[in-house]
Amino acid sequence: MKLNYSMLVVGLLAGGSVQAANLYAGQAKAAAVCSQCHGVRMPSADAPFPPLGGRDPEYLKTAIKQYRDKTRVSDIMNAVAGSLTDKEINDIAHYYGNVKP
Amino acid sequence: MKKNRTKRLNQSLLAVSIATLLSSGVAMAKSDNMHQLYEDNCSSCHGSDHGGYLAPALNAETLKGRSPTALRTIVMAGSFDTLMPPFYGKLSDDEIRGVIKHLQATPKQPNPAWTMDDMKKSLKVYVKDEASLPDKPTYKIDNIDNLIGVAARGKYGRGEGSRAIFINSVTHQKVGEIPTEVAAHIIDFNPANPRWAYVKTDTAEIFKVDLYSMQATRSIKTGFNGPGMGVSRDGKYIMAGSFVPHNAVILDADTLEPLKTFELEGIDPDGKMVSSDSGMIIGTPYADIFAIALENAGQVWIVDYKKEGFPVTKIENVGRHLHDAFLTHGGKKLMIASYDDSIVAAIDLEKRDIIKKLPAGCVPHVGGGSAVVVDGRTLGFGTNFGDCDKMVVSVWDLDTMEVVKQIPVSGGTESPAAHANAPYVAVDIISKDRRARTVQLIDKKTLEVAKTLDVGGHAYFPEYSADGKFLYISAGYNGDEVVVYDSNTLQKVASVPMESPAGIFSRGRVKYMTRGLSPDEMEQSK
Repeated sequence: MKLNYSMLVVGLLAGGSVQAANLYAGQAKAAAVCSQCHGVRMPSADAPFPPLGGRDPEYLKTAIKQYRDKTRVSDIMNAVAGSLTDKEINDIAHYYGNVKP
Repeated sequence: MKKNRTKRLNQSLLAVSIATLLSSGVAMAKSDNMHQLYEDNCSSCHGSDHGGYLAPALNAETLKGRSPTALRTIVMAGSFDTLMPPFYGKLSDDEIRGVIKHLQATPKQPNPAWTMDDMKKSLKVYVKDEASLPDKPTYKIDNIDNLIGVAARGKYGRGEGSRAIFINSVTHQKVGEIPTEVAAHIIDFNPANPRWAYVKTDTAEIFKVDLYSMQATRSIKTGFNGPGMGVSRDGKYIMAGSFVPHNAVILDADTLEPLKTFELEGIDPDGKMVSSDSGMIIGTPYADIFAIALENAGQVWIVDYKKEGFPVTKIENVGRHLHDAFLTHGGKKLMIASYDDSIVAAIDLEKRDIIKKLPAGCVPHVGGGSAVVVDGRTLGFGTNFGDCDKMVVSVWDLDTMEVVKQIPVSGGTESPAAHANAPYVAVDIISKDRRARTVQLIDKKTLEVAKTLDVGGHAYFPEYSADGKFLYISAGYNGDEVVVYDSNTLQKVASVPMESPAGIFSRGRVKYMTRGLSPDEMEQSK
């Protein structure tokens, strides 16, 4: 998917003071870790997995961190998110946040 | 390089952590239900006889010694860089454990029967009175040849996402979607009547599609698995062949009623009598015949569909494990790939004999094949899986039947696309790493790779629009779009979203027979 300059700027701004998000890194990570279930843009019409495209990046960040830290319990998500760093989570959240579903 | 390794590492970490997590717990589901569960979820790719199809064979022999926990991880999380989807949330943990236990205890099944009667009973009529259908397209299109059909597999190889999707290749807008329940694999257009197309699924159903009103009017199940399908030049007959069971059938293209079945068996190149999968089936503009490849028997059969009883001429000893083919010389010659001999055999359909066997790289898979006329020579292009060190695209002079060049490319390839009006022959790189995202473009004149496109997804099955102005490419597997490029500038001009797109089929094919040839070529041969 093509990421244009304005999306990148939005991503950078939305990243806020803590960390600037790298949408390209987020896209690569999402493709490797998330897309098998959640899709690159949208999950399959038949999939039991929720869509991530266009969701609020802050919400996604919080949720993925909770899964990683096992404060939110899901056998598969605790395993999948278990090895992600804060930086990777930030990148992924902003990548999906900027995808138009 | 480093990136790849990191990605692999992450994946294996993921696999291990999922496996560890789930290695505890209780299971055991009933084996009889498990067969149905396999049929309903797995068999469209892995084969109804447990003998493999698009995906590996799953039976007691092939899964011997494999850790059930590791297998469970693959079923749950899917397998990256393949079409295997994650069944987590689709199947319960007990079901996943149960089906793995069942598979590890089940031998490959004997060929299940699917008779003429079974086919007749499977015939469904969706539109009773075809005369009531509109007499021209109900959507805006200047020329019906501008239609491009995409076989969208759907993530799970079945379900909502499994459709044949038709696009106007001038506007790049979808103009119709035909739900097929199971992954669509092949789309063929009727050469005699522009309103009809035929879609075959991985579970061997054939849908007759009205392109004017964009709906299926009939369907029939011709077997359990197998993509082989061809349409006769007069548009009156369809021939379809299966992997499971080992048979082929000629259908009335109008009613889809079966007319005759053929048991596929014969003496293979090593002198053994074998029962055989059906490979490609092709109708040619040159004569009232079908050609069908018997994969395991290494034979090509020619069927005269206008003659009483559909008599067969058998050409033996063509090559080991035949698969796909393309036509040249007005449809008089057939170039057919042999996986195991790594050759493409040129067959004279007039004399019904082998002309020559040509080197074709390593495990040749020619897809729809391509042929272009450059400086008075007709050049054929052959892709190959390249499961060895030799990663090349073969170019043959189709008049003299000599190898012109083996062009180095960056990986294994599956399907070449060409068009008389486009400067490049596009080949899809399928090697299972970042290269799978790419398509390479070979300059027709210099016969060298001129450019590499990073399409994304698992990019495969390139196809030019009928006017040659646009190059369509499926960003499949996990990808969810067909990407459209300008054929000359190679700039991305559009994206058409759909689930796991695979084969792309332009209606232009019926005019130029083989992609890359000009329609004049066919006129000459008449």
